[in-house]
Amino acid sequence: MSQKDTQQHSGKDSVEDSNGQRRFGRTELPPELQEAVKRAIRLEWITIGVLAVIVAAVALVMGNSQAMKAAWIEDLLSFIPPIAFLIAIRIINNPPSRKQPYGNHRAIGVGHLVASVALLVMGAFLVVDSAIGLITAEHPPIGSFHLFGHTIWQGWFMVVVMLLSVPGPVILGRMKLKLAKQLHNKVLYADADMNKADWQTGLATAVGVAGVGLGLWWFDGVAAIFVGASILYDGIRNLTTAITDLTDTRARTIEGNEEHPVIYQAEDHASSTDWVRQAGARVRDQGHVFHMEMFVVPEPGAALTLDRLQSLRDSLAELDWKLEDIVVVPVPELPAEVHGGTATMQSEGGQEFQEA
Amino acid sequence: MGVPRCRPSAPAAPAPPARRRAALPAAGLALTAALALTGCTSSGYPADPEGTFDKASGGTLEVGVVHHPPYVDASGAEPSGSEVELVEGFARQIDAEIEWTVSGEEAVMTALQKGDLDLVAGGFTSQSPWSTHGAMTRHYAETTGPDGKPVKLVMAVPLGENQMLTELERYLDVAHQGAQP
Repeated sequence: MSQKDTQQHSGKDSVEDSNGQRRFGRTELPPELQEAVKRAIRLEWITIGVLAVIVAAVALVMGNSQAMKAAWIEDLLSFIPPIAFLIAIRIINNPPSRKQPYGNHRAIGVGHLVASVALLVMGAFLVVDSAIGLITAEHPPIGSFHLFGHTIWQGWFMVVVMLLSVPGPVILGRMKLKLAKQLHNKVLYADADMNKADWQTGLATAVGVAGVGLGLWWFDGVAAIFVGASILYDGIRNLTTAITDLTDTRARTIEGNEEHPVIYQAEDHASSTDWVRQAGARVRDQGHVFHMEMFVVPEPGAALTLDRLQSLRDSLAELDWKLEDIVVVPVPELPAEVHGGTATMQSEGGQEFQEA
Repeated sequence: MGVPRCRPSAPAAPAPPARRRAALPAAGLALTAALALTGCTSSGYPADPEGTFDKASGGTLEVGVVHHPPYVDASGAEPSGSEVELVEGFARQIDAEIEWTVSGEEAVMTALQKGDLDLVAGGFTSQSPWSTHGAMTRHYAETTGPDGKPVKLVMAVPLGENQMLTELERYLDVAHQGAQP
């Protein structure tokens, strides 16, 4: 891979390997992505710091408001994605080994799955808990604080804290979203997406508390259901993506709405090689990087030499930094499940796979 | 107080939980609009959903007490004790007549939960398990409990009657300033 000889000055980050290079397992990253990973790590640490301040501030003022409790739990849950990201990025730094022959990229998927289950469970709990509070007409008692000789309604502090907690995560979310797309990192993407939408729950909570101040006790429970529902929705959406990736679905774009264009690019590239008649690929998303099996049907009479297979493999790897773990498999006809495949045989069906 | 009150005691039409992110901004707007449109002119902010404070001001303050000297001594014809004096001071401030109910903890707390009482006193502490039945005030003083550990003295008002809660806390802050931790 051409990027392999890229030199990178030694940075300050402690998780880098000895020569300051950041890598995704076997995949060495081009310089702009090295920089993106470092920025993502920095942003996730900043996120954790901002969240710690928000969680402490909300805990100080939350009192008996159900909406504040929901918002507080949401903020606590928001710690999981950045922590999952930071752990995963450390783990996948290790190159593939005999024990982990595919590398450690699945760490991202595991982190993603764990985070989404936590969101799903807590979201469901909050919706049910808040709904029960509404049905049984629990009136939230919100008293006062005594500060500097003044007695001030606690709800004002809640509203101020919730409004102050809005801008930080939204700004961080927008910054991380860009990096997530660049790095093809779904945990970072999910985290950024949640941060970016955080203002809605912050505002809903503030409105809920302000409504209680007007004597509309049920505003609190309704706001709490909104917050719970938004956590639940995040959980369902992330769980779907996490399962999609862990079950080796054909690689998709980071938004998850379409097949990744690099698959078609690689197939076109392989088919346009002079000794190849037809090519089709099986591509799965391992976290940041793809694992690709390129099935090729050689032209009749074309010699299958090691050189040809090797140079096809190398040129495929140069298409995209995400492509590094590639096997080129010569077959008499394309398996049914790969793009352009018509044969009734399956690629899993005991063929001899030849790694170039 | 001749101020008209509104008491929305039941959710007229609680909006269904948002199923999608996109529904949230709209819902937020709806909530804000509901806030703006509520022509609710309660006498204060925070307001009481059941108007406890408004009804007591210039009227009758229904107080439940539990015999618990030296805070409440209910052995005489009229209750006396430090908390009784505090409650009397609060009633004077809001121009209310007190109607005392003397009974056991469970009886007064159940009456408070039902809305039959406006205030309960009786040497309750912030550790009281009765917080399911009433809203405990911020503690107004600290003392030593039966086990020798410090306890924080509180009173109770109906759950969610936040004007009542805040006004009582405001009074206790001033009346018991010396005892503030």
